[in-house]
Amino acid sequence: MDCYTANWNPLGDSAFYRKYELYSMDWDLKEELRDCLVAAAPYGGPIALLRNPWRKEKPASVRPVLDIYSASGMPLASLPWKSGPVVSLGWSAEEELLCVQEDGVVLVYGLHGDFRRHFSMGNEVLQNRVLDARIFHTEFGSGVAILTGAHRFTLSANVGDLKLRRMPEVPGLQSAPSCWTTLCQDRVAHVLLAVGPDLYLLDHAACSTVTPPGLAPGVSSFLQMAVSFTYRHLALFTDTGYIWMGTASLKEKLCEFNCNIRAPPKQMVWCSRPRSKEKAVVVAWEKRLMVVGDAPESIQFVLDEDSYLVPELDGVRIFSRSTHEFLHEVPVASEEIFKIASMAPGALLLEAQKEYEKESQKADEYLREIQELGQLTQAVQQCIEAAGHEHRPDMQKSLLRAASFGKCFLDRFPPDGFVRMCQDLRVLNAIRDYHIGIPLTYSQYKQLTIQVLLDRLVLRRLYPLAIQICEYLRLPEVQGVSRILAHWACYKVQQKDVSDEDVARAINQKLGDTPGVSYSDIAARAYGCGRTELAIKLLEYEPRSGEQVPLLLKMKRSKLALSKAIESGDTDLVFTVLLHLKNELNRGDFFMTLRNQPMALSLYRQFCKHQELETLKDLYNQDDNHQELGSFHIRASYAAEERIEGRVAALQTAADAFYKAKNEFAAKATEDQMRLLRLQRRLEDELGGQFLDLSLHDTVTTLILGGHNKRAEQLARDFRIPDKRLWWLKLTALAALEDWEELEKFSKSKKSPIGYLPFVEICMKQHNKYEAKKYASRVGPEQKVKALLLVGDVAQAADVAIERRNEAELSLVLSHCTGATDGVTADKIQRARAQAQKK
Amino acid sequence: MAAHLSYGRVNLNVLREAVRRELREFLDKCAGSKAIVWDEYLTGPFGLIAQYSLLKEHEVEKMFTLKASRLPAADVKNIIFFVRPRLELMDIIAENVLSEDRRGPARDFHILFVPRRSLLCEQRLKDLGVLGSFIHREEYSLDLIPFDGDLLSMESEGAFKQVANMMIRMKREFTGSQNSVFPVFDNLLLLDRNVDLLTPLATQLTYEGLIDEIYGIQNSYVKLPPEKFAPKKQGDGGKDLPTEAKKLQLNSAEELYAEIRDKNFNAVGSVLSKKAKVISAAFEERHNAKTVGEIKQFVSQLPHMQAARGSLANHTSIAELIKDVTTSEDFFDKLTVEQEFMSGIDTDKVNGYIEDCIAQKHSLIKVLRLVCLQSVCNSGLKQKVLDYYKREILQTYGYEHILTLHNLEKAGLLKPQIGGRNNYPTIRKTLRLWMDDVNEQNPTDISYVYSGYAPLSVRLAQLLARPGWRSIEEVLRILPGPHFEERQPLPTGLQKKRQPGENRVTLIFFLGGVTFAEVAALRFLSQLEDGEIRASFSQ
Repeated sequence: MDCYTANWNPLGDSAFYRKYELYSMDWDLKEELRDCLVAAAPYGGPIALLRNPWRKEKPASVRPVLDIYSASGMPLASLPWKSGPVVSLGWSAEEELLCVQEDGVVLVYGLHGDFRRHFSMGNEVLQNRVLDARIFHTEFGSGVAILTGAHRFTLSANVGDLKLRRMPEVPGLQSAPSCWTTLCQDRVAHVLLAVGPDLYLLDHAACSTVTPPGLAPGVSSFLQMAVSFTYRHLALFTDTGYIWMGTASLKEKLCEFNCNIRAPPKQMVWCSRPRSKEKAVVVAWEKRLMVVGDAPESIQFVLDEDSYLVPELDGVRIFSRSTHEFLHEVPVASEEIFKIASMAPGALLLEAQKEYEKESQKADEYLREIQELGQLTQAVQQCIEAAGHEHRPDMQKSLLRAASFGKCFLDRFPPDGFVRMCQDLRVLNAIRDYHIGIPLTYSQYKQLTIQVLLDRLVLRRLYPLAIQICEYLRLPEVQGVSRILAHWACYKVQQKDVSDEDVARAINQKLGDTPGVSYSDIAARAYGCGRTELAIKLLEYEPRSGEQVPLLLKMKRSKLALSKAIESGDTDLVFTVLLHLKNELNRGDFFMTLRNQPMALSLYRQFCKHQELETLKDLYNQDDNHQELGSFHIRASYAAEERIEGRVAALQTAADAFYKAKNEFAAKATEDQMRLLRLQRRLEDELGGQFLDLSLHDTVTTLILGGHNKRAEQLARDFRIPDKRLWWLKLTALAALEDWEELEKFSKSKKSPIGYLPFVEICMKQHNKYEAKKYASRVGPEQKVKALLLVGDVAQAADVAIERRNEAELSLVLSHCTGATDGVTADKIQRARAQAQKK
Repeated sequence: MAAHLSYGRVNLNVLREAVRRELREFLDKCAGSKAIVWDEYLTGPFGLIAQYSLLKEHEVEKMFTLKASRLPAADVKNIIFFVRPRLELMDIIAENVLSEDRRGPARDFHILFVPRRSLLCEQRLKDLGVLGSFIHREEYSLDLIPFDGDLLSMESEGAFKQVANMMIRMKREFTGSQNSVFPVFDNLLLLDRNVDLLTPLATQLTYEGLIDEIYGIQNSYVKLPPEKFAPKKQGDGGKDLPTEAKKLQLNSAEELYAEIRDKNFNAVGSVLSKKAKVISAAFEERHNAKTVGEIKQFVSQLPHMQAARGSLANHTSIAELIKDVTTSEDFFDKLTVEQEFMSGIDTDKVNGYIEDCIAQKHSLIKVLRLVCLQSVCNSGLKQKVLDYYKREILQTYGYEHILTLHNLEKAGLLKPQIGGRNNYPTIRKTLRLWMDDVNEQNPTDISYVYSGYAPLSVRLAQLLARPGWRSIEEVLRILPGPHFEERQPLPTGLQKKRQPGENRVTLIFFLGGVTFAEVAALRFLSQLEDGEIRASFSQ
């Protein structure tokens, strides 16, 4: 343990840098790295290698091969390169490999060497060829910047949403810049380039000359420049062997270092981390690696092999043919704890725990020391934090053990931080494993978030690990397990060598009814791969019909879509499919399809009722639904037809239909209506006035009101109006006319089938008491009391009621005894009642 | 503001707040001043959830009714259409939008579908070439409109049958995407109106039922003739009588109404007169108030008392209006006939009263209701009787009503008796649909709402609660449509022990509408059974 800080190198007074091995590479490279185009994705991402035969004078006879490895050197893909010469490789934020060809075409490959798409960087680039290209990352996504043979720059800040921008020209530029880079300031991408002793900054509008403040004189050329991971800092390497470090805005100088090496470095990258004490740059030459910062001395490493630097958020990864290392500034917590002779609380706690394990009483001394200073909480937190920054599980464990030990002596120490760190470390150790090969540091992991990490695992097809992590972290199913299963299923449907049945079954077995899994998405993917049958099989598992239908329509399985829509009970969905079908099929087939789907048929009928009446008729015709057909024509006779002949004709069609429907009643009634219509027409011609469209009843009434009693009688006979109703009709009409004489004659024409009470009522309604009284005497005994009361003859009503010994009638009369003269009557009734009771 | 919704055990105010919030969110999406173009049908339901003031707060400056041709001019940035997803409405909107483009400054169009977005409608808008004109196209799921503390309405026409199956499907579809919520309802009873066609045909005899029968209650508002509501104060005597109909909102927020709405109308009068005495006594108190403290206390109660007096005056007027109708001889005759039918007397021959009604051309609705009632109470009419009625109706009211009659036949309201068997007496006896001894003042059975007839639907609900439907399987076989029960197991963790004294809450869903009398009967039941029952219906 004493040698724990052996690999710590001090830079200046405050900071230490350490370099440790992540993996020993197992990729068995045949070429030297320097002969290849190399691209390594940040955040422990994959490494792409393309043997670059185009750089050599003579083209090689063998085809170049594009190899993709994990960060641990596990091969992910290998494919012969069949396209044109490639100038530059780079990874996008989504871990897609962008290969920039000489002609400005960018080919996009997946992690597994699967071709995704391609796009061109424009005509200008095509004409002038690509001289150099960079892939850079901004907060919007990944961008591509291109330097053309005409020394002009073209860039796109986001390849996902390709918008090409041609940067302004640098005045008087004759040769290629000695070095250049992209900057990202205020959400806009710029290009910084060096030509001889001059620096130019290109934004979209203009080209401006910039001068780094405090640059030592005598510079005639810039050999290398580097922007930090966060675009905040810039480093420049001059031909005088000086390194200038400052802000990316070129407004402030941080420091300067003279390394006394004039050879151009192979790579220069920033090595810093969020809140780092020291800003440092790592410079690599063929055999030498140098870490320089604001200190008179630099840290130097010897490179045994050809190496490649990958800047990270909190350090630099360095890989060569045999090893993969990580170089970073030692985090504060680790420094405090492990620094030689550190008295920091964390260091003491670690010591205390070790002594405790040795069963030494020194444990108590250390602990007491911390507690006396009141720093135990801080000590625990330091240990937890330092554990996060350790790469080796044994060190993580020992720090966590110390933290857990210290926790015992604290009241109410919130356990969340400790628990979360344990969980995070388990996840990190799992993904750092050689087979997985994602060497994320704790800071990178937090920056990346678990969701993105899961996506990356899915991208690497590490489904079981991803699911285990979700389950371990207890992520909600919809965000976690379900999503991963869905991805797995989408990958599964692309396996062309497996039969549809097997794929569908395998997917359903795994996914079952897992909530949040969209079978339709998977099916859509299957359809996208040209596996329609599989898509249909998968859709069977989709519980939401609303999701099934659109895809089925897209796949031209309209009939299946129809039955699914019907199953869903969503009328809107059914209509959508129906209209789709209607356009797709000819009319006959369409109707036949409907016929087998009663629900759809009835919905379509509804639709037609509002929108397409003619189609409705055809539908009824096809179904031999004569009853509805009849109704349809009846409606037409009222709505569609104006002329009387047309209306009668429509009615005739309706009547025929009703006969066919064996609805005698409706048929006869329709025929009656036809007769009536013709008759009304004749009446209008002969008598004038309005008859059309009156009901039979009203026609007769109108005739009586017009004094055409004969015709009225005739009509009533022709249409066999029942006697009772005819009497009511006549009574009402004559009373309305106030033709009392005729009314009386009518009343005496024969015995009234409706009695005479209605006569009394109607006379009273017309305020003719005189006439009313005439009829009151003729009212039958059952209703006599009522009639007498109506005409106001309370006394006589009382007599009748008493005679009939009807209790209800007696009370009725009594309730009418309100006038002053009715006192006698009331008494009479009371007496009669009393008498009745005695009996 | 909507306190009447929070009374029940299941707080429906939450629902109201949720729909209000959704509305506000939508309005805020369309920045700037707005005008709303209303599908007229929606104004009623919307009135129940959001007053104009709420809309105004969100920069709604103008409101129009959706009409063909041009939109009225309005200086607003946004035009929002609130519409049902109907194709004919889409045509109007398209016309509006197209005629708009040719004039003045461009305005943003939005469309809010209530209650569902419809692919079909969007397709139509696309066909008409205006779909692109709409910036926001959203749906507003105003499915269940809270009417009252225990009543929800879907206010929609033509709901689907076979809802039950669908619900089981839905359960499967939504699992996972929804958080597990502690269920507030224990039982759900879905009743298809087809099972009980009788109840809506009979005249409702509760106070609220009669208001609906005579004046019609829409979206909890009723419009009444103004004469009775003329201000009675002397000073106003010179003014003209109001000519516009008096519009009143009716819900349980009004204390008095809550008390009398479900009573048989015959029991309302005594309550009103008792109330009148209490209120005038309360006003008399002021003479007894001697000390300042007493006077202060009296004054503090004044607003409440005045509100009570106002409410009493309103309901006394309404009761008078109704009484005029119910004491008429014709109302009595009609009721007699209805009750005869429902108790199974002379349902198989032509009824003289109906004949007379037709002969005197009484309102067709009344005649049809009676004829249908007779048909239902006789398991269909004899062919001869049916044809006679039909012929009489056609001759009197006009031939075009052959379509009306046909529709009634399709709905099963009017039909010939098949097989010569009348099942109604069996149903009536088993379910005790007709009760001879009805106590209208202090009811002991739900039959009081129709003064004798116990609504079949509610009786089914009652029997389901106790003792269960197994006892009436015979009858269930006779009733139209299949019946089934489905138990939904709760996820473990949501199950909890029922507290003693806590009762089951049952949600009753009427597919095809419910009458106020049925609601009254259900409320009565829930008091009787100590269980809470909620009614919900779609029209």
